[in-house]
Amino acid sequence: MALAKSPWIIHVNCNSCNGCDIEVLACLTPLYDAERFGVLNIGTPKQADIMVVTGSINYKNVNVLKNIYNQIPDPKVVLAVGACASTGGIFHDCYNVIGGVDQVIPVDAYVPGCCPRPEAILDGVVAALSVLESKSQGKIKGKDVKLKGNEVPSNA
Amino acid sequence: MLKTTIMLLITAPILFSFLFLALGKSLYKFLAWAFFIVGVVSSIMLVLDGTGKVEVAGSSFALFENIVLILEVLVILFVFYVSAKHKSWPTLALIAIQAVIAAYSYMNVAKVESASFNIDQFSQVMILIVNIIGTAIILFATGYMDHYEKHRHLDRQKTFFFSMSFFLAAMNGLVMVDTLGWLYLFWEITTLCSFVLIAYNQDEESITNAFRALALNLIGGITFSLAIIMLSVKFDISNLSAIGTSSTTAAVALPVVLLCIAGFAKSAQMPFQSWLLGAMVAPTPVSALLHSSTMVNAGVFLIIKLVPAFANTPLGIAIAVYGSFTFVMCSALALSQRNAKRVLAYSTIANLGLIIASAGIGSPLAVAAAIMLIIFHAISKCLLFLCTGEIEHTIGSRDIEDMSGLIKKAPLLTMLISLGMISMLLPPFGVLLTKWVSMEAASSNPIVSIFLILGSALTTVYYVKWLGTILSSSMDKNAVHHLKPETYFPLSFLGLCIVVTSILVFPIYDYFIKPQVTTLLNIVNIVPTVSGQGGQFTSEIGAFAYAVIFIVFALAILIYLATKNMFTPRPAGYYMCGENNLEKDKLMFRNGIGSYDKSSVSNIYLQDIFEENKLTTLGYVISILLIVVALVEVVVL
Amino acid sequence: MNSLDIAKIVLVLIGAPILGCLLAGIDRKLTARLQGRVGPPLLQPYYDVMKLFQKDNMVVNESQNLYVVMYVVFVILSLLMLVFDADILMIVFVYTVSSVALIVGGMSTGSPYARIGSSREIMAILSYEPILILYALAIYLLTGTFKLSALDNISNPLLMYIPLIFISMLFVMNIKFKKSPFDYSTSHHAHQELVKGMLTEYSGPGLAGIEIGHFYEYVFLLGLMFLFWKVNIIIGLFIALIAFLFVIIMDNITARVYWQWMLKLSWTVLLIISVVNVLYLYVAKIKLI
Repeated sequence: MALAKSPWIIHVNCNSCNGCDIEVLACLTPLYDAERFGVLNIGTPKQADIMVVTGSINYKNVNVLKNIYNQIPDPKVVLAVGACASTGGIFHDCYNVIGGVDQVIPVDAYVPGCCPRPEAILDGVVAALSVLESKSQGKIKGKDVKLKGNEVPSNA
Repeated sequence: MLKTTIMLLITAPILFSFLFLALGKSLYKFLAWAFFIVGVVSSIMLVLDGTGKVEVAGSSFALFENIVLILEVLVILFVFYVSAKHKSWPTLALIAIQAVIAAYSYMNVAKVESASFNIDQFSQVMILIVNIIGTAIILFATGYMDHYEKHRHLDRQKTFFFSMSFFLAAMNGLVMVDTLGWLYLFWEITTLCSFVLIAYNQDEESITNAFRALALNLIGGITFSLAIIMLSVKFDISNLSAIGTSSTTAAVALPVVLLCIAGFAKSAQMPFQSWLLGAMVAPTPVSALLHSSTMVNAGVFLIIKLVPAFANTPLGIAIAVYGSFTFVMCSALALSQRNAKRVLAYSTIANLGLIIASAGIGSPLAVAAAIMLIIFHAISKCLLFLCTGEIEHTIGSRDIEDMSGLIKKAPLLTMLISLGMISMLLPPFGVLLTKWVSMEAASSNPIVSIFLILGSALTTVYYVKWLGTILSSSMDKNAVHHLKPETYFPLSFLGLCIVVTSILVFPIYDYFIKPQVTTLLNIVNIVPTVSGQGGQFTSEIGAFAYAVIFIVFALAILIYLATKNMFTPRPAGYYMCGENNLEKDKLMFRNGIGSYDKSSVSNIYLQDIFEENKLTTLGYVISILLIVVALVEVVVL
Repeated sequence: MNSLDIAKIVLVLIGAPILGCLLAGIDRKLTARLQGRVGPPLLQPYYDVMKLFQKDNMVVNESQNLYVVMYVVFVILSLLMLVFDADILMIVFVYTVSSVALIVGGMSTGSPYARIGSSREIMAILSYEPILILYALAIYLLTGTFKLSALDNISNPLLMYIPLIFISMLFVMNIKFKKSPFDYSTSHHAHQELVKGMLTEYSGPGLAGIEIGHFYEYVFLLGLMFLFWKVNIIIGLFIALIAFLFVIIMDNITARVYWQWMLKLSWTVLLIISVVNVLYLYVAKIKLI
């Protein structure tokens, strides 16, 4: 119950072009005011509930993402914001890009768009809240992601 | 009965010092244990014997008087010898002056017919401190010195233990004797012993510092002997206790100031503070001995004994301002120090300043605070010094920054030193209680109370900084940890003493301090009356509820233990923006070029604002000015 | 201890966090309104705490939550002592224990961000501690005792004699509420430079404990302001409210400053005006009893 009323988000930028980041921040401005849902933008994963990821995953930042994911206490949900975070977007076939966020960590909600509108992001957060609540009731734990997975080439 | 105990207290340490000389190093451990037990038993015996005066007269007096004379000559000759050998001209000049004064007083000053020992509650307290804490330090030293000497290729343990034990004998004499002439001998012996101990390493630095200590203490010695001559020639006073009760309180002011200056020099107050900082070159047990139970306490002991002579006079106010000035200045100096031993040294000087300030205020509550602060400060500071020494052996450094993560390397040691620090700055422990009492007592004097307020905020800052650093966890574990009973027993014992004395603060006050204050200030009842009911230290102007805080401390730990497993703790790494290097070191992170760096954070030392040289110069100027003002005030009025 | 005292204790233990929670809620709502936003519901701080209790207890150091318990317990103790009119100097010292516990707790995690935050918070102690004790000294000078019970017997409010200390105390409130411009040790808004400062490594129930401690602390600090006009409860509460609004407005109209700047402000301006006020009391020899 209380979980859905106080979602604190941590914003992780993986290789994003900053388009989505600006829209995420726009959510916090007076016009959209995400705080009316209790949303706070928190700096540390230790205190976050929702991980908002923008941008595609590449070999350089994959461990950073996994590391931060592991440091968020349960229950937690992941929200992939934008085309790149959802699928890899226009960068999907670059030599260094692994793909969307769901290639390395489990994602609970996707927000499509390049870049998505703030209303869409807020919708995504609200959608993630019900997932968060059900995870809390079912005591579903996020899995501990191994840092060196098979998506990382051995020489990276 | 009292007489035998007094003799035992002086002769037993001397006996042990010669045993240390005679026996081999392998037996030191047993000797130290025996000494510790003898010290504890004999000091408790003295307390049980009660108070009183013991006269030494007749043939035994003549014998002792001759011994004293011979020893005095020997002390002077020894100082002549070492100063000439090391070509230390200042000390040579000072000892020459001293010799002249001694010769003058031998020829011109009337001889006393008897000597006396005056055992009051304050002496009992001092004897307990000297013999229990002092012998605990010697016990610690037996476990410490082997390792210390191995590193420095020294073999001077015989001299070391001889001087340490002799020091205790001199200190025991100093706090019991009432005749000024004899007191002076013990005073000079402590100076000499500290000189030998500071010069222990025999390298250039330690010898320079030892001579500085000697020179500054000789200045104190000279003012002391001048005061003795003045008192005996002009006022026919030869006993310490007679100064206060003398009907001509205002007239004896000049010798009292001279005695106070001797006390300031011994207690390393502001213009004389450099000797105590220089004394840091000696092994840690020496610092612990000088700082907590013996040397510096001799100075404040003398000043508190003189309280009746200056209580509620302009001189008293001058002394209070002077003491509180040292308190705030040295607390500010400690703020910018990274070297743990220097922090402790400045903290000692600051606390002694607080004691002197309380003595200067001269109200019953303030004098009680001064005596209590001597007790609590001695225990806490001794623990802190010994722990710092042990930390130095564990991690090989005395820099506060290097101590980060100590809780993982040496948990027991860290807990003990944390207890020591907490007892210095937080309620309900004794040092804070006395600070509280002296603040309340000082509230009638604006300058003193503002100095105390600033100083106490600075004190909190430099201790919290250090406390946080040692309690912070890091994953680096390359430390040698040796648990020896000789070292850890004294440490744990002192930790226990802190807690027990803080819990028993009111019985201690009632048994030792209240009667002492009433005799010192010659009053019937202490006003405001202090009561200890309901675990509170209550007076009319305030209440210190120490029992409640102890209970709450215990409660907090219980709550923590009870809730610890309610929310299953899940260990995780540090947040390093996701760039941790989890294989090697949890505090390492990947930097911009893909290699790994170790993160390190240093405390804030404010070295630009509280710069040591600048502040020291300022301190010299103001403190010398304050002493001159006190002198002028006395001469003019 | 009679039944009335026990009732008082229970009331403080239960009532203070509710009041503190409402204050925190008002703070967030008001801040949002000042920024032209709708803002979170009034009970948002309550939801936050309830949520944090449902989260995992993630720790970097087994003992880090001990300091949280210490912090909360000693804040409660200082509040209780304030309610029971204990010795003001003692209250300040007990309150220092709680601040020290939080600082040491931050440092004990060993995280570089937490240690930076804690170091800055230590400097905050240097700025506000002397002013708090000067406030205690001023109360002594006016009433002849450090016991707060004496404030029941006076007819004129303290504020009339120590206005300069009141001004300093307003800034002390700002420092202790950890609000802008003095929110350099831990803040929601400083995560670009500090992450979460002192509290970076706290999560779940540990952080919930700290939040509850903050609720008690809000009430305690406003209680200190209330003392300025204790002779009339309504005006006293009004003064406390003014102080609270001052903190919120300062929070919204100022930007975060360096800790050096705060130290300078406090030791040059605030400390000096407080000392002047105390010296005035010495010279004028005003006694309210």
